[in-house]
Amino acid sequence: MELFSDHIFLSRLHFAFTAIFHIIWPVLTIGLSLFLVVLEARWLMTRELRYYNHARFWMRLFLLNFAVGVVSGIPMEFQFGTNWSAFSRAGGDIFGHLLGFEASMAFMLEASFLGIMAFGWKRVSPGMHFFSTCMVALGGSLSAFWIMAANSWMQTPVGGEFVNNKFLLTDIYAAIWNPDTFWGITHMWLACLEISLFVIGGISAWYLWRGRYPDFFLTSFKMMLAAAVLITPLQVVIGHGAGKSVTHHQPVKLAAMEAHWQTNPEGQGAAWNILAWPDKKIQDNVWTVSLPYALSLITTESLTGQVKGLREVPVEDQPPLLLTFYGFRVMLVLGGLMVLLMLWSLWLWKKGELTAERVGRHKWMLFGWMAAVPLSYLAMEAGWVVREVGRQPWVIQGVLRTSDGVSPLPTETVAASLLGFVAIYLLLFVVFIFFVWRLLKKGPDFSLNP
Amino acid sequence: MDLINANLANIWLLIIGFFLLYYTLTDGADLGIGILTLFMRDQEEKNAMMQSIHTIWHGNQTWLVILGGMLFGAFPLFYSIVLSALYIPFILMLFGFIFRGVAFEFHAHARGWGKMFWLLSFGLGSFIATLGQGFALGGLMGGIAVQADSFAGKPTDWMNWYSAVAALGVVCGYLMLGSGYLIARTTGRLQQWSYSAARLAGGLTIIVSAAVYVGTSIRHAEMAAKWTAWPPSPVYFFAILTIIACVRYFRSLHQQKRLAPLIWNWLIIILSFTGLSIGLYPEMIPSMDSAPLTVQDVAASETTLRFMLVVMAVLLPIILIYTSYNYWIFRNKKEGEGYAGG
Repeated sequence: MELFSDHIFLSRLHFAFTAIFHIIWPVLTIGLSLFLVVLEARWLMTRELRYYNHARFWMRLFLLNFAVGVVSGIPMEFQFGTNWSAFSRAGGDIFGHLLGFEASMAFMLEASFLGIMAFGWKRVSPGMHFFSTCMVALGGSLSAFWIMAANSWMQTPVGGEFVNNKFLLTDIYAAIWNPDTFWGITHMWLACLEISLFVIGGISAWYLWRGRYPDFFLTSFKMMLAAAVLITPLQVVIGHGAGKSVTHHQPVKLAAMEAHWQTNPEGQGAAWNILAWPDKKIQDNVWTVSLPYALSLITTESLTGQVKGLREVPVEDQPPLLLTFYGFRVMLVLGGLMVLLMLWSLWLWKKGELTAERVGRHKWMLFGWMAAVPLSYLAMEAGWVVREVGRQPWVIQGVLRTSDGVSPLPTETVAASLLGFVAIYLLLFVVFIFFVWRLLKKGPDFSLNP
Repeated sequence: MDLINANLANIWLLIIGFFLLYYTLTDGADLGIGILTLFMRDQEEKNAMMQSIHTIWHGNQTWLVILGGMLFGAFPLFYSIVLSALYIPFILMLFGFIFRGVAFEFHAHARGWGKMFWLLSFGLGSFIATLGQGFALGGLMGGIAVQADSFAGKPTDWMNWYSAVAALGVVCGYLMLGSGYLIARTTGRLQQWSYSAARLAGGLTIIVSAAVYVGTSIRHAEMAAKWTAWPPSPVYFFAILTIIACVRYFRSLHQQKRLAPLIWNWLIIILSFTGLSIGLYPEMIPSMDSAPLTVQDVAASETTLRFMLVVMAVLLPIILIYTSYNYWIFRNKKEGEGYAGG
C-alpha cells in the first residue's frame, strides 16, 4: 500500500486509468464512421433500403459511443498540464502543437459535421449528408494520426535537441515523421478497423443467434467479413514491421517484451521465450519455455542475428517486465484467435452456410463473434500496455524519466481526482452498456424512411 | 515578413485571445443555458432549453479543446504552470464538462426519472464547469507562485475571496449570454422568462464587475493605475465603451428586441475582455512575490511558432467556413427533431 502514498505512482495510475478508459471509444468512432461511409455510399449507389436502414441503425450506436468518447477525451488534453507539467515544459515545443493540430484539424471537423450527419437527414441533400459522413470519418482518422504522431515522438524523440532538459525543435517534419510514426499509426489505425469489425460482427451475430432479422444482419455480417479478410492479414504484416522497428529503435523495450536477458554472442541464435517468469532481482528468468533461434529469426530474419538483452542496461533503466512480457502475449494470442475465427467463418461462407435458414445452426461460430467483442478491446489495451509500460522508466525515451515529468502536487490532490475519475467513468460505462443493451433489444427501426 | 518574425509570440497571443473570446461568446451561452435550467421548474421548458443548443454546443466546446492544444503548443510554459497550479478548478471544470456533455445523448435514451436525472446533470454539469472556469480565471488573475519555471505554491492557493468574486462574475456573465441566446431562439412564455432572467443577470453582472474592479485595484495596484492614468490609456477608452454597451443592452431588453440584447452582450464582453487584456499585457502569469512571467518568457521556440502560424493561416478560414455552414443549416428550429429522432 506504500505505492498509493506516492504522488508519482498515483499520477501514473491517473494517466493509465483515464487513457485506458478513453481509448475504448475513439477506436469504435474511427472504424464505425468508415463503415457508415460505406453503408451510405452503397445506399446512394444501389438505392436499396436495407443500406439506409443499416446506416440509421449503426448511427445510433455511433452517437452513444461518440458521446462518451468526447467527454473522456477532453480530460486527456488537459491532463498533460495538470498532472505532467514538467513533461509539458520539456516536450511542449513539439508535443503541444501536435495536440493543437489534432483539435483544430481533426476534432473540429468531426464535431461540426457530426451535427449534420446525426440530425441533418431532412435538412441537407443526400449528397451533402454523405459528404458530412465522410468528413466525420476523415476527422476521426486524422485525429488518430496526430495523436499517434505525438505518442510516437515520445518513443523515438527526434527533430531537435534537448538543451537543459528542454526540447528545442529544429526540424518539424523529422519530428512528426519520426522513426516510430509510420508503424505506430498504421498499427493503431488497423486495430481501430479490426475492433470496429468485431463489434459489427458481434452485434450482427447476436441477432443471428436469436434469429431476429437474419436477412438484415447477414448483410452487415458479410460486409464485415469481407473487410476483415483484407484487414486482418495486413495487421499481421504491420504488427511484424512494428516489432522490427522496436527492435531497432527501442531494443530495451523489445528485450522486456521477450524477457531476453543476455545479448546472444556472435554465431549463436537468440531463443524466443514462449512463456517465462522474468525476475529483475536475479537478472534472469526463473523458468522458461523457449524455442531456440526463434527470436533472432523473427527480429533479424537470420538464425544468428544479434538481439540486445536486458542486461545491457542498468536495472534502473529496465522497464517493468511482467506487464510488458505478458501484455505482449495476451495481444498475440487474442490476435491469433481472431484470425482463426475469421478463417472459420469464411470457410462456412464458402460452404454456403451463411444464409438466413442455416446460419442459426452455427451457434459456436456466432458465440465466437460475440466473445470477440470484449476480447478485441482487451487485445488493443494489452498492446498499449506493452507500448507504454515497455518505454518505462522514460516518459520521453532516453531523455526524460517519468518520475521527472510529474507536476509538483500533493498525494491527496492526485488521489482525489483519480477517485473522481474512477467513479464518474464507471457510471458512464454502466449507463452506456445499459443504453446499448436497450438499443439492441429494440432492434433497427424500419419505419425511418429517406 | 520581418515584422511577423519579430512578433511571433504576440501574434500567437492574439490568435489565442481570439479563440478564448470565441469560446466564451459561444459556449459561454451554452453553459449559461445549462445553469438557467436549474432555475426552471417546468420539465418541458427545461428540455426545450437544452434542445435549443443540441446541434451547436459540441462545436462550441471544441474551441476550448483547440484553445488548450494551441496554448500548449505556443506557450508550453504557461500551459504547464497554470494547469498544475490551478489543478482543482480545472479538474472541476472537466468533471462538469463530462456531466454536461453526456447529458444530451443520455437524456435522449433515458425514460421517466432518467430523463429528469440527465436534465439535472446538464444543469449541474454546466454550473460546475462554469465555476471551475471562474475560479481558474480568478486564480490566474490573483497571481501564481512560480519558482524555476515551475509552480511553487499549494494546490489551494486559488481559494480566496478574490477568485470567488471572479467566479461569480463568470457565472453571471454566462447567465447573461445564455438568456440572450434564449431570447433570440425561443418564443412565448420561455422568451418572456428569458427577458426577466437577462435583466436580473445583467444587473448582477454589473454589481459583481464593480466588485472585481475594486478587488483588482487592491491586489494589482499597477493595473488599476493603468486604468486611472492621465492622459487616459486605451483601457480607459474600452471601459467607457463597455458602459455605453451596457446601457444599450438594458434598453434593448426594455424594448423587447429579439437579437439586440445578445449583440450588445457580445460587445460588452469583447470590449471588457480587450480592456482587461491590455491592462495585463505583457504579463501572462501575474505573480504575488516574484517577477511576473511575460509573453516572451512562456512562448515556444520560433521554429514552432512559425510552423504553427503557417498551418493556422490555412486552417482557420476553413474552420470558420464550415462552422458557419453548420450554424446556417440549423438556423431555424424544426419540431420533433432531437437527439433520438432525426
